[in-house]
Amino acid sequence: MGVVRENWRIFLLLVILFGSLFALFSPTMAQEGTDAPGLASGGATNLQYGLQLSGGTRIRAPLVGVTAEGVEFDGTQAPEVERDVADQLADVTVADVIVRPQAQGTSTVEVTADGVTPEELGSALDAAGYTYESTREGVTEETRSQTIDILSNKINEAGLSGGTVQQIQTPTGGNFILIEVPDANRQRVVDLVNQRGTVRVDAYYPADGGYEQRTVLEQDDFQSIGNAQQGGEGQLPNVPVVVRESVAPEFQQQMVDTGVASQGGSRCRYGSTPNNTDPCLLLIVDGEVVNSFGMSPGLASGMRSGDWAQDPRFILQTQNFSESREVAINLRAGALPASLDIGPDGEGTSSFIAPSQGAQFRTDSLLTGIIAVFAVAGVVFLRYGEVEVALPMIVTALSEVVILLGFAAGIGYPLDLSVIAGFIAVIGTGVDDLIIIADEVMAEGDVNSRRVFQSRFKKAFWVIGAAAATTIIAMSPLAVLSLGDLQGFAIFTILGVVVGVLLTRPAYGDILRALLTR
Amino acid sequence: MVAFEVPEIDYTRYTNRQLAAVPLAVLAVALLIIAGWYVATGAPVDPGLDFTGGAELRVAVDAPDGQARERIQQTFDPSPATVRQVSNSDTYILTFQTDEVGIAALEEQARAAGFTVESSYSVSASFGSRTQLQALLGVAIAFLGMSALVFLMFRTFVPSIAVVISAFSDIVIPVALMNVLGIELTLGTVAALLMIIGYSVDSDILLNNHILRRSGGFYESTHRAMRTGVTMTLTSLAAMAVMAAVATVFGIQLLASIGLILVFGLATDLMNTYMLNLSLLRWYKYEGVSN
Repeated sequence: MGVVRENWRIFLLLVILFGSLFALFSPTMAQEGTDAPGLASGGATNLQYGLQLSGGTRIRAPLVGVTAEGVEFDGTQAPEVERDVADQLADVTVADVIVRPQAQGTSTVEVTADGVTPEELGSALDAAGYTYESTREGVTEETRSQTIDILSNKINEAGLSGGTVQQIQTPTGGNFILIEVPDANRQRVVDLVNQRGTVRVDAYYPADGGYEQRTVLEQDDFQSIGNAQQGGEGQLPNVPVVVRESVAPEFQQQMVDTGVASQGGSRCRYGSTPNNTDPCLLLIVDGEVVNSFGMSPGLASGMRSGDWAQDPRFILQTQNFSESREVAINLRAGALPASLDIGPDGEGTSSFIAPSQGAQFRTDSLLTGIIAVFAVAGVVFLRYGEVEVALPMIVTALSEVVILLGFAAGIGYPLDLSVIAGFIAVIGTGVDDLIIIADEVMAEGDVNSRRVFQSRFKKAFWVIGAAAATTIIAMSPLAVLSLGDLQGFAIFTILGVVVGVLLTRPAYGDILRALLTR
Repeated sequence: MVAFEVPEIDYTRYTNRQLAAVPLAVLAVALLIIAGWYVATGAPVDPGLDFTGGAELRVAVDAPDGQARERIQQTFDPSPATVRQVSNSDTYILTFQTDEVGIAALEEQARAAGFTVESSYSVSASFGSRTQLQALLGVAIAFLGMSALVFLMFRTFVPSIAVVISAFSDIVIPVALMNVLGIELTLGTVAALLMIIGYSVDSDILLNNHILRRSGGFYESTHRAMRTGVTMTLTSLAAMAVMAAVATVFGIQLLASIGLILVFGLATDLMNTYMLNLSLLRWYKYEGVSN
């Protein structure tokens, strides 16, 4: 037992080392498949690789919008307020205005259209006769979390597995949405998340000598949305839907009233001659008419007799299959309350890394790390010339990296280039501290008694503690500030220093003592 | 095995003034360069893509070097601000100063010309300026935090300020070198500057600790501190120099820039610790304490 008690630090290090190896290599510790969010797992180990090392697309952008806080409108209903505000602002539709009741009886009013300033929102509220406390850039927390939910839905619906959407907050008060999708091309992701995805169906019918347009179905009016169909046999690609029972009778009546469901159906020529056509249905996505279609005689007669409302199935036709897919995704995921500020004059960043490039970076950075270790080992061997001192030094420093790798695998932290840089920095500081211990312990002649060893080791540890504290202080701003890629670097450098001071450096002391005082 | 020894320097041959003059002169030159840069360009150091906004494409072009560059110039509108080849491979890193056309359009142009887009990265100008502010804030907080900690640990003015001045100089000189060598400030170099704070203070603390807290004469303590400290700095220097070189060959910019800046910082630290910090400590030990 004496051996264990005297060298408990070494045994502790060994235990934790084995734990880390277990976390790294044990198949039982593997994350559930590869659908752990945002990550691609890699090969023989349980390590997860981030976008830089596995390829994929990352988009980081704030949401477009301005908010007025503390708006009061006693008695007036929210939809009416939304309409009033939208009327006061150019190029803003009701869909761009969101009224949310807050505590203390006041509300927030958000305008999520591009190009509206807080001042313009303020004067719009003034003009509409509502009082408010303040206006600012940005949207409310509710809008942000709603957007994140819908974006996640969209990415899942589109079959981009492993994508994540999360909110990040900078200490300077900025809010960003971070979207990461492994293995996907940037354009596909941008197209997907850039759409607000409001889908509606309008009736287009002749009235008073001209044509009128009226919304007959909106996003929430669907009970269920089927998968996009390829079409064929004279049928266009389409999305089968079921209209809600509560809405179906009204929709049926509107079809009959507007003449879409006229005797013998209707033939739509909106695309070629919009001023000379039967009544039409228009499928509108984000304000753009995606397709126009008439009604088959069979469906029209069902509507006229009133039977259709008993079984309110309907299809939304599109020009091509990819549009059908988009419509289905948008209907199922829902419309974004606010859009992401990406694009040429936006406020975001985006990056794309080809999967082959990611794999290349993975081996290259591993190689870089290994060569750096050899450089350190070379200097240490040259300096001490004693294998007894130098070899444990290198082994101990490497064990620090193994522990950190095990930790990363255990919590599923994705490895990126910055984390690899952190590992190399850890080896650097780790070996530095081991040099301090070795020099201190071996100073002035041989270490023959345990007491001499202990007192020298303690002295060395003061310097190591002080140096560790300064490194932690220096890196902590990076760990907290969301400076993109560098957070991982800071986190793993700090972790490495902590593991080193608490675990590996005391163990190295024990190893050195065992070697020198025997 | 051949063990190298850290040479013992006979410090008695030099006065404090002589010792301090060299690092202070270098620091002054560095500050001058940075000030001149600020007057000329409006920024103390050229901000890179991360801070100005813009786009970066990494493309593989299947053609010999000269032709490839020509094709790159013909392909893109606007034409890239810089074109850099990744160490004799067919991969080129292109940067575009503006983000007007958008990264998607640039990718499209590259694919249309038959290039393979290996990676792309774009930062909008407003996002970049925000990042710049945060990075400055980060470096300032780190430096002030380190200074406060050093003063807490030593609780005497001269030794503490010696560490702080050395650390300051360790950051300023690499920044000046960046200007001279045309290296832009990126997130990687900011990380490296912060890491310099962590690394460089180690050897200063070691020196102070040996001289102030240990028994033994000044020169004996100095020599012992130097033996350990120089070994430490040299190992780190070796690791970082190798990392910078290998990462440059592989074209991994983040690792290359962190490595390179740390090489500058650590080399500067050798000079500052064993000339500037040492002379201040000697003055403190022999003249400062007695009166």
